[in-house]
Amino acid sequence: MECRWNRRVVLQASGLSLALPGLESLEASTSRDSDVSDDQVKAKRFVSIGTYLGFYQDAFFPKQSGSNYEMSELLEEIKQHRREFTVLSGFDHQAPNGHASWNNFLCGKFPNAYSLDQQIADHLGNSYRFPSLQLSAGKASQTMSHTREGTALPMIQRPSVLYGKLFATPADQTRTEYLLRSGRSAIDSVLEEAKQLQRSISNSDRTKLNEYFESIREVERRMKVQLEHQDVALTTDYQLPDYDPVAPTLQLEAERLMYDLMALALETNSTPVLSLFIGGLGQVFTIQGKTLQAGYHALSHHGNDPEAISDLIKVEREHMKCFGRFLDQIKHKTDSRGQSLLDSTIVLLGTGMGDASRHSNRNLPTLVAGGGFKHGSHLVNEEKQGHPHLLGDLYVTLMQQLGMQVDRFSNSDRNLNDRLT
Amino acid sequence: MRGFSVVALLSSLLMYNAQGYAQGTLSGSQSASRSVGAGFTAEHAKDFLVDFCIDCHEDDSGGEAVSFFSLATNEKGMPSLEGLETKREGTEHQGEVRDADQTWTRVLEVIRDREMPPVDADKPDAMTVSQMVTWMDRSLRVQSFMGGTPPRRLSRGEYQLTLEKLFGFQTFDLPDGFPVDRPQDGFDNLAEGLQLSPALMEAYADCARLVADQVFPPKRVLPESETRIAKPEDLVISYSSSKVVGDAMRLGMKCDPIQRSCTWPSRIESKTSANYKIVLNLSTFNRVAESEPMLVKVFARDVSSADGVSHRTLRLLQEIQVVNEDEESFSFDATLYEGQTIVLHWANASLDSDRVDKNELKGFFESKQRDNPKYLAAWHAMLEGDQGQGFRGGIGWDRVSKLLAQDDLPSITPQQEQALLKKIIGNPVLYAETVVFDVFENGPALEIHEVQIHGPVNLVDGPTEASNRRIQNRFLGGDDHEPSKVIERFLTQAFRRPVDQDTVARWLGVFEDHLAEGNSFSESMHLVIRNILLSPRFLYRCLGDAELDSYDLATRLAYFLTSGPPDEKLRKTIDRLGDPAVLRSQANRLLTGAPSSVFVRQFTEQWLEISHLNEIIPEQSLKFSRQDQRQAKLEVEHFFAELLRENHSARQLVDPDFTWTSSRIAKNIYDIEVGSNQKKANDLQRFSLERGGRYGGLLGMSAVMMATGNGVMTQPVNRGVWVLERMLGMTIPPPPDDVPAITPDTQGANTPRDLLKLHTEDGSCARCHRRIDPLGLVLENFDPVGRWRETWPESGKEIDAAVVLFDGTKIRDVIELKRWLANHPEKAAFGLAKHLMVYATGRPMSYLEQRVIEEVVRANVDQDKGLRDLVLDLICSQVFLTK
Repeated sequence: MECRWNRRVVLQASGLSLALPGLESLEASTSRDSDVSDDQVKAKRFVSIGTYLGFYQDAFFPKQSGSNYEMSELLEEIKQHRREFTVLSGFDHQAPNGHASWNNFLCGKFPNAYSLDQQIADHLGNSYRFPSLQLSAGKASQTMSHTREGTALPMIQRPSVLYGKLFATPADQTRTEYLLRSGRSAIDSVLEEAKQLQRSISNSDRTKLNEYFESIREVERRMKVQLEHQDVALTTDYQLPDYDPVAPTLQLEAERLMYDLMALALETNSTPVLSLFIGGLGQVFTIQGKTLQAGYHALSHHGNDPEAISDLIKVEREHMKCFGRFLDQIKHKTDSRGQSLLDSTIVLLGTGMGDASRHSNRNLPTLVAGGGFKHGSHLVNEEKQGHPHLLGDLYVTLMQQLGMQVDRFSNSDRNLNDRLT
Repeated sequence: MRGFSVVALLSSLLMYNAQGYAQGTLSGSQSASRSVGAGFTAEHAKDFLVDFCIDCHEDDSGGEAVSFFSLATNEKGMPSLEGLETKREGTEHQGEVRDADQTWTRVLEVIRDREMPPVDADKPDAMTVSQMVTWMDRSLRVQSFMGGTPPRRLSRGEYQLTLEKLFGFQTFDLPDGFPVDRPQDGFDNLAEGLQLSPALMEAYADCARLVADQVFPPKRVLPESETRIAKPEDLVISYSSSKVVGDAMRLGMKCDPIQRSCTWPSRIESKTSANYKIVLNLSTFNRVAESEPMLVKVFARDVSSADGVSHRTLRLLQEIQVVNEDEESFSFDATLYEGQTIVLHWANASLDSDRVDKNELKGFFESKQRDNPKYLAAWHAMLEGDQGQGFRGGIGWDRVSKLLAQDDLPSITPQQEQALLKKIIGNPVLYAETVVFDVFENGPALEIHEVQIHGPVNLVDGPTEASNRRIQNRFLGGDDHEPSKVIERFLTQAFRRPVDQDTVARWLGVFEDHLAEGNSFSESMHLVIRNILLSPRFLYRCLGDAELDSYDLATRLAYFLTSGPPDEKLRKTIDRLGDPAVLRSQANRLLTGAPSSVFVRQFTEQWLEISHLNEIIPEQSLKFSRQDQRQAKLEVEHFFAELLRENHSARQLVDPDFTWTSSRIAKNIYDIEVGSNQKKANDLQRFSLERGGRYGGLLGMSAVMMATGNGVMTQPVNRGVWVLERMLGMTIPPPPDDVPAITPDTQGANTPRDLLKLHTEDGSCARCHRRIDPLGLVLENFDPVGRWRETWPESGKEIDAAVVLFDGTKIRDVIELKRWLANHPEKAAFGLAKHLMVYATGRPMSYLEQRVIEEVVRANVDQDKGLRDLVLDLICSQVFLTK
């Protein structure tokens, strides 16, 4: 599988073509007016990745705490980034157990509550092309991102769809331009209709109609702006394979493509918030030419069987490889000031399930990378007088790092600033 | 305050009646209030306000921000209701007039109910109060108004349904992220709340384009033909569906879910609906001699659909019989729609894990045992042995086969064999997905060597294309050569009224100009559609002059009862809709009373504030599942639907002799005897109830009790407000901003009753909470999911639900409250009727409109009519008929 992958996918981490507009000009047109000056805010972007089946805890958590820990089996795959991440153990949201409550990962104690990524997107995302993007590798069998109102946001499962959102093909561009031009010319007829109507109705009803005028004029204005920007539409020489890896056995391939596109989305400043769900159903993976003994989900219910655990770890190592590759990419990509993207991007890798074998949602494997934090250690949650930290405490710190003035998340009203900043 | 009968109390507390708003006030001397009312003039009213109100409520005097004197004073600065009339004439100030109407209504209520003047102030005597109230009622009736709904944008749901009806879509899904409307007063379809923003306008523009794309899709082109090949390693394996052995993928099982028995190419997907040539290279492996040929079924499947579906739901493309041990090519033509691939299934494999003929799997193991007497012993050792635990799938079979190779495998007793076979029957999926690896290794198995798909050969209409074509034909109506006819018809339907020739000419101009620029017919129509769908005349209803004409009326009626535009039958009667009999019969037709109808669902959800039910997560100890929650909501819909369908009387709202629920909820929540011979525990069914009991009717209905709490504890204040506002149609002002919520004491030191006492100890709280809290406390016997309880869970103390309502009347429990309400059906009927009219007209009800509604309700009750009659009578009332 890997061999095929390498042949078919042309991407290199630095595969952006010169057709990309300079980042400065983009940032000028997209950066938001903020009351907090840019210098004070250490992080500007947030990426969260959640694995449906979690990670095998003994392979994820290092045995020692502090900064002199030995890499665990899974962390071994990202050891080159050791100084850029913090691994946390003993944290969770005290949410209910079971697959159904998986979305406690970003929602906190109460499933379907306003999720961390959306709270951040509502703060950061307004002026971007996409306030946030939700993606999945494999079937989106659970919900992950929830709006303020509690609505679950759908996830994009096909890399080609995400690609189409981010980058216009020449055919798309022609069509878009046609739609904009023709639409703009015909909108006068709509306005004429509205003006006639306005003349025929009473004063009090005009207030309502004014809302209409303001809205349609704004749409017209945006059409004009879009038309002006048509020639600088984002393109890339990154190429997807000529099929979408949506088949369950190709999930790891989909995962790598999604990470590639996420790195491109960050580099082109298309969005400040990305969420990636990593699925896990019955598919039987073939890793490095060897077909595993059982399906991913069956392996997660390993019942402490050493053979099953060994295969499970093989799958999880692949997840970590993909993740490490993503960190590589955003570490080497730079923002307009030449600063590594990773330094100003918080990357949260975690899950809503602590131990899939027992369906326990305690002690969630969690890792934070980048974002300008003080990294390099294994943070163990110490139970002090029965008042241990919650995972929400970490989330409060993440939000503050992004310039949000918040001191609570879900059931948490503390933070981990003293450990991370 | 001496009236201790429930009657006196509630008539004062809850509502007025048709004989006069002032009647039945606290004074209890109804005849007196009538006779003295006559001599009470505006001068007396002025004196009353000066003596008892103005000290605190003059502008900026520090009292509650009631600026009614500045709103309604005449030139001499005298408090006068005439101010209202002056304001009313200036249409600029419609909002202010409405505010003044509501303020004066509120003033009347607080005086009538003795909320004002406050306890520590000078108070008028009962006689004066009653005279004042009578005078105010009379003046307000004259000076209040009907109608005044501003232009009303289609709500999110209405917009969606309107597009579906307009174009004949089966369904039209709004794109993800389409803005959600903010409800006002619980309703999402009120004109004031339905604002338009640039973001929403953009969403409308996006939707309009999606719609136009379906009616006039961009021209399809046949992609270049190519050959795609899938080798065994390019085929999907999930669970124990298949295994690659040598140069072939082997299938060994025939169960239903494709993810457990089938395989399909992982990298081949039809990019467009078309015909393809398919070639399969297949062979048999260790086929049982002389058995029937192996039957392979080839299906088409959407690659993005769920992997757990049964192959029975898929479209069969071809059946193939395979007998040769050597690779053989089978070739056939097949249609694949966009996004599909082929699925291969061995239909007559002998191993099966579902629909078990249990003896089949047992027989499989027994025959293996006959061939190899150590077989069951090896399985036994794998499952029970000390060499590690048993494991399913390939790992399990690996261990069994290693055990089989051991010379010193301990044998097992016949009893142990039988026990093992029993276990196998008990969990067929587990054992089949392990023993299938024996089949992969030793056969009989089907072998797939290669899958080739050539094409596309030629384009075909997939379901999407077929549906688009139907929609286009419907849109053109055979008038392809007369675009003006097409455009005029579309405008008429989109704007829900005939359009003048100028309008037709303008849009025809858009079409013709575009055509003249060298664009196609389709592209030009596409442009017309996506712009007409942005017109205010499509996006808003209730536009134009003060009077509703018959088109407006048809539109109001259709959106009220179907959340969509007028259907064809209604459109045909439009010119006769001014005739009340015609209006009534159309309303009667549209009011289906089906529990699943949009009207029943939307209205009950918003009226009773139960739309957020699925966000509440009942605490585990309450034993109320997600499923129960859905059923609880369905209960409300089925209950309300029957009231309408069967034209039940208004008392059934409060104290009915039936409900609709699942037998699970009936048993676990309502304590109803459920026979053993019930349908599925979760199917909704009708249960008879004893009247006068704890359950039944809006009070004590599980969904309502849940929606007024948070799933963990009850919230008596919410329940009290719910009863007053939603059920009885009163208006309760929101709590002042500076008051913190009461923090529940979960340590159990205090009962909710003790906590609520704080409300009545604080003067400014007490004014409203004397009215609210008792109605919440009396419902405390219902837990957060509506189950009857006798003790408070935190403290374990016995619940004392007896309350003293605000005028001093004592009631013992909810049963007493229900009895009284059932004897005064006009109370709850008013609550229903008022909300129906708010929902229908999209505006809050004025003083005058509320009085008209009361009259309709009173007549309904007096004439023993039913609730269906009530809805129809309201539709024929001036409240509904006025813009």
